[in-house]
Amino acid sequence: MSNKQHTYDAIVIGSGISGGWAAKEFTEKGLKTLVLERGRDVKHLIDYPTTNKYPYEFEHRGELTLAIRKENPVVSKCYAFREDAMHFFVKDKEHPYVQEKPFDWIRGYQVGGKSLLWARQTQRWSDLDFEGPLRDDFAVDWPIRYKDLASWYSYVEQFAGISGNKDGLAELPDGDFLPAFPLNAVEDYFKKTLKEKYTGRHVISSRCAHLSQPRQVHFDQGRGKCQNRNLCQRGCPFGGYFSSNASTLPWAAKTGNLTLKPFSVVESVIYDEKLGKASGVRVVDANTKEVTEYFAKVIFVNAAAINTNLILLNSTSSRFPNGLGNDSGVLGKYVAFHNYSARISAEYEGLKEFTTDGRNPSDGGYIPRFRNLLKQETNFKRGYAAGFSAYRSPERDTSGMGTDLKAQLLNKNLGPWQVGSHMMGETIPKKSNYVKLDKDQKDEWGIPLLRISVDYDDNDAKMKKDYLEQLTEMFTEAGFKNIRPNDGAQAPGLDIHEMGGARMGHDPKTSVLNKWNQLHDCKNVFVTDGACMTSTSTQNPSLTYMALTARAVDYAVQQMKKGEL
Amino acid sequence: MNRRLAIKQVLIFAGGMALLPSCLREEGKVSIQLKHLDISATQEKLLAEIAELIIPKTDTPGAKELKLHLFVLKMLDDCYEKQEQESFIKGMNTFEGLAGAELKQKLMEVNAGKPGLPKETGDFYAIMKSRTIGGYLNSKYVMSNLVIWELVPGRYNGYFPVKTA
Repeated sequence: MSNKQHTYDAIVIGSGISGGWAAKEFTEKGLKTLVLERGRDVKHLIDYPTTNKYPYEFEHRGELTLAIRKENPVVSKCYAFREDAMHFFVKDKEHPYVQEKPFDWIRGYQVGGKSLLWARQTQRWSDLDFEGPLRDDFAVDWPIRYKDLASWYSYVEQFAGISGNKDGLAELPDGDFLPAFPLNAVEDYFKKTLKEKYTGRHVISSRCAHLSQPRQVHFDQGRGKCQNRNLCQRGCPFGGYFSSNASTLPWAAKTGNLTLKPFSVVESVIYDEKLGKASGVRVVDANTKEVTEYFAKVIFVNAAAINTNLILLNSTSSRFPNGLGNDSGVLGKYVAFHNYSARISAEYEGLKEFTTDGRNPSDGGYIPRFRNLLKQETNFKRGYAAGFSAYRSPERDTSGMGTDLKAQLLNKNLGPWQVGSHMMGETIPKKSNYVKLDKDQKDEWGIPLLRISVDYDDNDAKMKKDYLEQLTEMFTEAGFKNIRPNDGAQAPGLDIHEMGGARMGHDPKTSVLNKWNQLHDCKNVFVTDGACMTSTSTQNPSLTYMALTARAVDYAVQQMKKGEL
Repeated sequence: MNRRLAIKQVLIFAGGMALLPSCLREEGKVSIQLKHLDISATQEKLLAEIAELIIPKTDTPGAKELKLHLFVLKMLDDCYEKQEQESFIKGMNTFEGLAGAELKQKLMEVNAGKPGLPKETGDFYAIMKSRTIGGYLNSKYVMSNLVIWELVPGRYNGYFPVKTA
């Protein structure tokens, strides 16, 4: 095939949450867009093989077999890697990497990526987050502030469909919301308790990417109301939650401007020394290993945070011997994540006149960051957000056997409310937390293996201690009993919130991307997935990736029209 | 593809466990396809009796009718370490030859944690009981008739009133 047939206006590497958005924005603006996905195609509705199965239709009732657990020590740790959704996860053996320090790298190599599997929590950042590095003296200053992103948050929220309340909190700006999923009796009770006993500690309905009450734009996508199944990881037959598969990719396809190529492993971005910019990408066919080059005026790298680093590091040329756009030498460094390693549970004897009925897809309550919010007040930097939820289930004494046991198993007498919380701590990006290419080992496609060296530090330990202390105190104030703090030591990575490596910043000497998510040193290449994050704050990051992507595409297209790219 | 494999695949494709009809199996062997365990028809019968004693038939089906002993074997075969499987078999053998009231008496002792029983007996019973319970609660019968599990709830109420007795 000639180069002409391999030439597009824009190339997007990756079809996950941010790649899907790039595809939608480019194609809507009339650009012929090639989306490259290294995994197989997953078509909405058609390729959700388990979506309508009952628990008893799974051979092992959802459980993983010993053989699968042994072959997959890493991904088996992920809560969603079970019999009903394991086909959407990368298996350890198929895609090895080197752990210089323990790091559970959870990946979804298919069209839609991890947008099929995500926990769908969506909160905006505020300036208390964007100003964090500057105020608390770490990483580099974000080159953007809330005002740069606010209208883009609204833009993506309207299309994706985000449920939430307007809570009026400065630390968690309100968005363009569909009705929230309500707190239940005990979640509400805990909210009231915190309001009475503390200043600045809130429980709100979790904001999530579910269609509680779809609008026309959602019906136009072919999506319908969330049916409270809470089986999202299988793919939703109603399109009740946002995924690339249900939303952005079919929308992009409808424009007629989208070319989606699954099984396309991007080896590198091609840099044209004469033009002084990127000219395209080199792709290895996942199955045949055949190498093909594709060309475009602008390239968006949305391969998921760590793989985006890998592609850029592997894109070497005489101009960029250490990786594309890496004049600063910081590419691959300052990787950070969210500390999810602690949780706490307890019981509540009150409000027994209520229980829940149906299922809450939002996960219940959310406690926005309250530590060090307006000024430094603890012995650690930054802080944590937390989940909070409550439920009741039947009390079953299984100590007996025979008819007694059977009666116990079928009794509907509810036990006390069970309450639980988990922490989502901000980690501080550091030079010593990095990813880099292995000098010798390569994968099946001839691409260097990645070495990951990411760890917790003393700040994380202090913050975790504080979380467990504070939540214990808050639970005690609420009269919860049998409080069980759990310092569940999990490796970084399992949070699936890895970020950074190609951070945004003002200064090309200390950052990789500028305020438009554009490589400082190679202006027609953009990064808008997790790799771009200068710091992590405590919010679930996907909504911010969506907003950054839509904003960056808008800018790129304007620049192209001006002939700047 | 041989016939047995073809039938097995059809059964897997149809969803749920691949329960092979006994006509395809050797005489005197367990009635389902197992990868690791070597179980005889007699042992299968014993497990069915034990499962039924754990969850008996009342006005609703018990373990035997729901084939929960076969679910226990399937889980034991696929989800446990070799060592746990061996210990299960050893423990199971301490019930060999027992039936009726005798079997029930022995099982009640084990369930009550009577001191002095071989370790394997306890290991066997722990797996047998927990998997029988799990299989029961996750069975189509229970999920459709007794403790209803909904595929599409379509609602959430956080203040659902509880009837107090």
